[in-house]
Amino acid sequence: MKTKSTRLFGLLRGFTALLVALLVAFILVFITSDEPFKALENLLITPLTNWNRISTVLTRMIPIVFTGLAVCVMFSADQFNLAGEGCVFAGGFAAGLCAVYLDLPAGIHTVVCLLAAMLVGAIIMLVPALLKAKLGASEMVVSLMMNYVILDVCLHFLHTYFKDRSQGATMTLPFQSTSILGTMFQGTRTSWGLLIAIVASVLVWLFMFRTKWGYAIRMVGINREFSKYSGIKVGFIIVLCQVVGGLISGLGGGVEQLGYYQTFRWIQLMGYGWDGVTLAILAGNNPLLVPVAAFFIAYLDYGCTLMNTNTSVPAEMMDIISVVIFLFFAAEQFLKRTRQRMVVKETERELAEVKAEEVSAE
Amino acid sequence: MEENCVVRMRGITKIYPNGIAANQSVDFSIREGEIHALMGENGAGKSTLMKILFGLEQPTSGVIEVRGKEVSISSPSAAIAQGIGMVHQHFMLVPSLTVAENMVLGMEPKKSGLFMNYPKAVELTKSYAEKFNLHVEPDKKVADIPVGMKQKVEILKALVRGAKILILDEPTAVLTTQETGELFKELKHLKEQGYTIIFISHKLKEIKELTDRLTIMRGGKSMGVYNTAEISEQEISRLMVGRDVILEVEKDKAQPTDVVLSVKGLEYTNEWNKKMLNKVSFALRKGEILGVAGVEGNGQRELVDMLFNLSRPDAGEATVNGRSVIGRPQSEIRDMGVAHIPEDRMTFGVAAPASIEENVISDRFDKKDFNKGPLFNMKRIHEEADKLIEEYMVLCKSRKQPVSMLSGGNIQKVVVAREFSSEPVLIIADQPTRGIDVGATEFIRKKLVELSREGAAVLLVSADLNEVMELSDSLVIFYDGRIVAYFEDTEKLTDIEMGEYMLGLKKQSEEEIGRVRHEN
Repeated sequence: MKTKSTRLFGLLRGFTALLVALLVAFILVFITSDEPFKALENLLITPLTNWNRISTVLTRMIPIVFTGLAVCVMFSADQFNLAGEGCVFAGGFAAGLCAVYLDLPAGIHTVVCLLAAMLVGAIIMLVPALLKAKLGASEMVVSLMMNYVILDVCLHFLHTYFKDRSQGATMTLPFQSTSILGTMFQGTRTSWGLLIAIVASVLVWLFMFRTKWGYAIRMVGINREFSKYSGIKVGFIIVLCQVVGGLISGLGGGVEQLGYYQTFRWIQLMGYGWDGVTLAILAGNNPLLVPVAAFFIAYLDYGCTLMNTNTSVPAEMMDIISVVIFLFFAAEQFLKRTRQRMVVKETERELAEVKAEEVSAE
Repeated sequence: MEENCVVRMRGITKIYPNGIAANQSVDFSIREGEIHALMGENGAGKSTLMKILFGLEQPTSGVIEVRGKEVSISSPSAAIAQGIGMVHQHFMLVPSLTVAENMVLGMEPKKSGLFMNYPKAVELTKSYAEKFNLHVEPDKKVADIPVGMKQKVEILKALVRGAKILILDEPTAVLTTQETGELFKELKHLKEQGYTIIFISHKLKEIKELTDRLTIMRGGKSMGVYNTAEISEQEISRLMVGRDVILEVEKDKAQPTDVVLSVKGLEYTNEWNKKMLNKVSFALRKGEILGVAGVEGNGQRELVDMLFNLSRPDAGEATVNGRSVIGRPQSEIRDMGVAHIPEDRMTFGVAAPASIEENVISDRFDKKDFNKGPLFNMKRIHEEADKLIEEYMVLCKSRKQPVSMLSGGNIQKVVVAREFSSEPVLIIADQPTRGIDVGATEFIRKKLVELSREGAAVLLVSADLNEVMELSDSLVIFYDGRIVAYFEDTEKLTDIEMGEYMLGLKKQSEEEIGRVRHEN
C-alpha cells in the first residue's frame, strides 16, 4: 500500500523534526549552561518524575488543545487565520464577566459562561472571514492585526468598568463559586477542562471527517476550483470554518479562565493561539492527534520552565525549540529525497511482484 | 556501436513521486539527420522519455550519451547547450509579447548594453524564418496568431538557440489537415539541411508519411526500433496496443425529441479584448449527441465555461429545460440535471490528494440519502463508492486510495462515474477522452452513447476529429467565435471537408447554420 508508506513518511518526518529541534536545544544548552547535564535532566526527565509534575503538564496542555483544534479546522480549508490568540483572550474575558456578574445555579452557570465565550470567539472570527469571502482580503493580515485590537478593547473595558478597585493589580472581582470548573484529580490544579478538551478533540474529528460540513471544508482546502465546480458553496465554507475556529478558540479561553483562575487577570496575550499553529502542524491537521501533540508541547514547555528555575538556562529556550520544529515541518522539501527513495523501492518491489505473477501464470 | 548515432539513451528508468514507473529500462537512439518517430499510446512513457532528454525530468537510473559522450542533462538549458531543442504540445510562449520578443526571450539583443534592441530581434526572426522556410509575422502578438504559426514560432525558437536535434511532442494534435501538410513539408526541409527530428505521435498515417525510423513504446517499455518503410500499419498498431482495438462505437440512429439546451446570442470578449464568442446560437435536443468541432481556441472552451457559470457572458442567454443557467451557482445548475466532464480534469474534475470515495460524492454529499442527522451515513457512502468503482471499472486498490495514485484513464473514470451517475438530462463532455488509454477511451465513449440513447442530451466538445465524427449524431463547427457550419448527419462527412470549415476557408449560409436552432 502506497498510502501506508506515505503515512510512515509523515511519522518519520515528524520524529526527525523533533530530534533535530532537541539536538539544537542540546547544543545551545551546552553552550550557555555551566551544568548542562543537570539542565537536560530538568528539561527531559523532571517533568514526568512525580504525579504533581505530570498534572502540571496536563494543566498546561488544556488551553492549547482548543487553539490547536481551531487551527486544524481553519487550516483544513486553507485559511491561514491567526486570530485564535484574540479569541482566547476575548472568550476568556466574556466567560470571566459572566462568572462574576450572573447569578445562576451551579453547572448551568458554567455552561452559560462557556457558551458566552464561544459566541464571542465566533463573532470575532466573522470579521476576517467575511472580509475574505466578500472582498478577498487576506485573512492572515486581518486576523493578525485584530489580535491587538481585541486585546486593547478588552483591557479598556477591564480598566474602566470591571476592575476590582480594592486590589493593587488589574483584575475583576472573584468568580462566583457556581461557575468554577472543579479539579479533575484531587490535590492538583488539573480541572475538568482536560476532559472537555479530549471530548472536543473527538467531536472536532467527527465534524471534520463524518459530516458534510467537514467534508466541504476539507475539499475547499484541497482544491477550491474543484469544490466550486462540484457545487460546494465555497464562500460559505470559508466563513464557516473560521467561525467554527472562533467557537473553539473562544471555548478554550473560557475553559482556561474557569478551570485555572479565580478572577480574570490577563493583561496581555497569552500565546496560546500561536501554540495552536505549531500544534496543528505537528498533528497534520488531525484533531485526534492534537491532544498528543499538546501534551508533548506542554511537557517541553514545563521542562524549559524547570530548567530555567533550577539552572541558568533561559526560559526562552522553548521558543527556539518550537521555531525549529515549525521550520522543519513547514519546509516541504525536508526529507523529500528519502521519500522518493521509499517510493522507488516500493514501486520496484511491486513491479517484481507483477513479474513473478506473470512468470507463474505462464 | 551504431553508426552516426547522435543521441543514445540506455537503460532509462523513471519512477515518479506518486510511484508510477513511467519508463522501465528504456533504450532509445537516433541517427544524425533522420526523422525518428517515437510512438505509443497515451501513458506509454513517450513524453517522460523526452522530458528526460530535454532535462525537464531526471531519470531514476540510466545513461544518456550525446555524440558518443556520456552527459548529464540537468536542465533545459543544459539540453540546449547539447544542441537539443523541444517543441511542447502546449506552447511555451508569452501571449502578450510579440513573436520577435518571444523568439529572443532570455537572449535579447541589447542596445547600449541595457535596452532591448527590438528592430534587431525582428531582423533575426525574419532571417531565421526565411532560412528555414517557416513563415511567421514578427510584429504580431502571440495571442493574435493562429495555432499553426505559434508552432512555427516554437520551432524557430529552438533553432535560434542552436538546436540541431528537435523534439516535437505531438505537433499535429492541434493542427488541421491542411496545417499538418504544411508542417510536414517544413520538417522535411529541415531534415535536408541536416537537422535531426524526433517526432512524438500516435497517428499511424503521419508516421508513415514522414519518418525514416520509429521506436514504439508500450507500458513504459520500448517495443523495439523499426525502419518505417519495412513495417506495416497493422504491425505498428499491434505493437502499440497489444490487441486490435476497434474504436468504432456501435450506435443506432438518434431519435431526438424536445429541446433541452437552448443557447441564444451568446457573446463574450476576453481580457485581451479578443471576441471569443460572437452571437452563438444553437439548440440541443433530448436523445442526441451534438458534436462541437473546431481548432482549439475558437470559442469552444468559452462556450462550456458559460454553460457551467465558470465565467459570465457579455450578452445572450442559455437555458436548460427553460431555466436560465447564466450566472446561477453550480449547485443549482447541477440540480437542473446538468453534468459536466471538464477539459482540465486535474483542476476541476478531481481533488487529487483526496480518496476516490471523497471524489465521487462531491456533487451529492449534502443530499438526504447520504446523511443521518448531522452525521454522514458512512455505510451508504461506502456503498455508493464501491458501486461506482465496480460499475465504471476504476482500477484501484480500494475506495480509500488517493486519486493522485491512479493512472490518467482511471482518474477520468472517477470523474465520469460521478458525472454520469447523477441521472443527468444534459451532459457537457469537454475533451472526455483526451490523454487517456484506449481501454478507458472506449469505455467512456460507449457510456456516452448509451446515456444519450436513454434520453440524455449530450454536448460533445472535442479536438479529436475521429471522436466527434464517430460519436456525434449531428455536428457544429466553431471558427473565430462563431458557428460556421452545421451538419445534421455526420455519416457522410469527411475530415478534409471539416478541415476547410475549421480553418475558415468555407462557411455555410446563415440559413444552413440556422437549422441548428430547431425553431420550427
